[in-house]
Amino acid sequence: MTPRKLGIRLMIVSVVTRLGVLLLLLFLSWLPTYINFKIGYNSARLVELSDGKLIGLLYRITDFFYSLFPNPVSVAQSSGGMTWSIRVFGVPFTDPIAFLSVLVKHHSLALGFALGVVIPVLIAFLLGRVFCAYICPASLVFFVTSRVRNFLLKYLYLPNFSLPRSFAYGILVSGLVLAIWIGHSVWGFLLPYLTVGKSIFMGMTAGVLSFSMISFVLFILLDVFAGKQFTCRYVCPTGRLLGDIGRKSRVQIQRNKNACIQKCHACEEVCPMGIRPKQDETVDCSLCGECMVICPTECLDIKVLLLGKETS
Amino acid sequence: MWFPRKKFLIGFFGGFLAPFGIPLINLLRAKRRVKNYLRPPGALEESQFLSACIGCAQCANVCPNDCIRFYGLEKGLAYLGTPYIDARAKGCILCMACNQVCPTGALVPLPKTEQGMLMVKMGKAHVLKDYCYSYAGRTCGVCYKACPLPGKAMTLGLYETPIVHKEYCVGCGLCEQACVHMPQAIRVTPSYLL
Repeated sequence: MTPRKLGIRLMIVSVVTRLGVLLLLLFLSWLPTYINFKIGYNSARLVELSDGKLIGLLYRITDFFYSLFPNPVSVAQSSGGMTWSIRVFGVPFTDPIAFLSVLVKHHSLALGFALGVVIPVLIAFLLGRVFCAYICPASLVFFVTSRVRNFLLKYLYLPNFSLPRSFAYGILVSGLVLAIWIGHSVWGFLLPYLTVGKSIFMGMTAGVLSFSMISFVLFILLDVFAGKQFTCRYVCPTGRLLGDIGRKSRVQIQRNKNACIQKCHACEEVCPMGIRPKQDETVDCSLCGECMVICPTECLDIKVLLLGKETS
Repeated sequence: MWFPRKKFLIGFFGGFLAPFGIPLINLLRAKRRVKNYLRPPGALEESQFLSACIGCAQCANVCPNDCIRFYGLEKGLAYLGTPYIDARAKGCILCMACNQVCPTGALVPLPKTEQGMLMVKMGKAHVLKDYCYSYAGRTCGVCYKACPLPGKAMTLGLYETPIVHKEYCVGCGLCEQACVHMPQAIRVTPSYLL
């Protein structure tokens, strides 16, 4: 497969997986209502009342899915949560930020919560910052806003600020201080994916707007008017942390030096994470494949390092 | 050091100071009377609970009674996104689903037996005798029929007057939900106010 085709395929996969995560969040927000309809008090009457409405259709589809399992209710109860502490069929996943926040504030960790951090950190260690391009539901929104920004740039001038990499670490430390001082709810204003998760959950279950929408709107404005993918590059502490965990990741972008054109900077301008594949920078690479698509000579490719050996 | 140190420090302090705008969100709080709701069963003592709960909403996700709600800004940022049960709207049926799944241990897992029910400390019910129909001689007894621990947490006197035994009452709020008098003649006080 040529690098360009691989890049296009990776981009399609990344959009599909992030849409899948969004759908999963919507589904998990619908689950409490489903469980209430299934085994709640006077549930037969609730199902009867919902007949012929959208909610009844949703109930029937969910019930069909869970009736494939021997014990529908306990299977339905084995999934839940939102973006920073989630269980999917009983497997816990914990955001490293939530892990740190509980560690510094509560000083004790439950076993499942501590083990849930293993899989995300292991993925970041082996593959780099893939969370940002393949899982984070907020980055799907920023994927769209970066296109909107490109469209606006045709007609008006927009600045492209850059900040030092330590800015996100400042936000991380400050968030931990605020978490000790106020509460864990401050992360709902600092982490883009958590603002999305909270907004979806509160909208679906309670029908209200979450206060996290304030900072989500701020993130979108920053993304459009302050710089390309400003939030992902400089603000999000999780992305910074995962990027530095995956500093020596096993899957990297490799440049063919002979084919690369000296004056071409297409990959640097298109990269959503603001790294320079041209200078063989691979820290922070989220393997989104955009540089592989844009490269005119197809000199960028993905290499897999297996215990030091190189295969492409 | 390998990094430009001045730039690093400026960036770090810029990032450190930026989120300190978040406490200002407290100013958006609606100026209305604050209600004190119950915590879900198995909750730690209130200050411990607030330090452990990360607001991941897994308790609400498994609740079959759909009674767990989340605080907005009415009690400030510290309470934002933490779960509560509004007994007057919907009480807790003590199924112990929420505390089995809590990831951070803010809700301690309890057994799904009567022993486990008696270990719950959500609050205590108390009867306002002036309001209660039964105390006015009009036989009612709705709260007794709603109580999950009848005979222990609540017994009946003459004309089905409810008598709450505080040593057994767990504060699930089903009596307050069931009470037919408006305003409610039996109410549950959260344990963090007792």
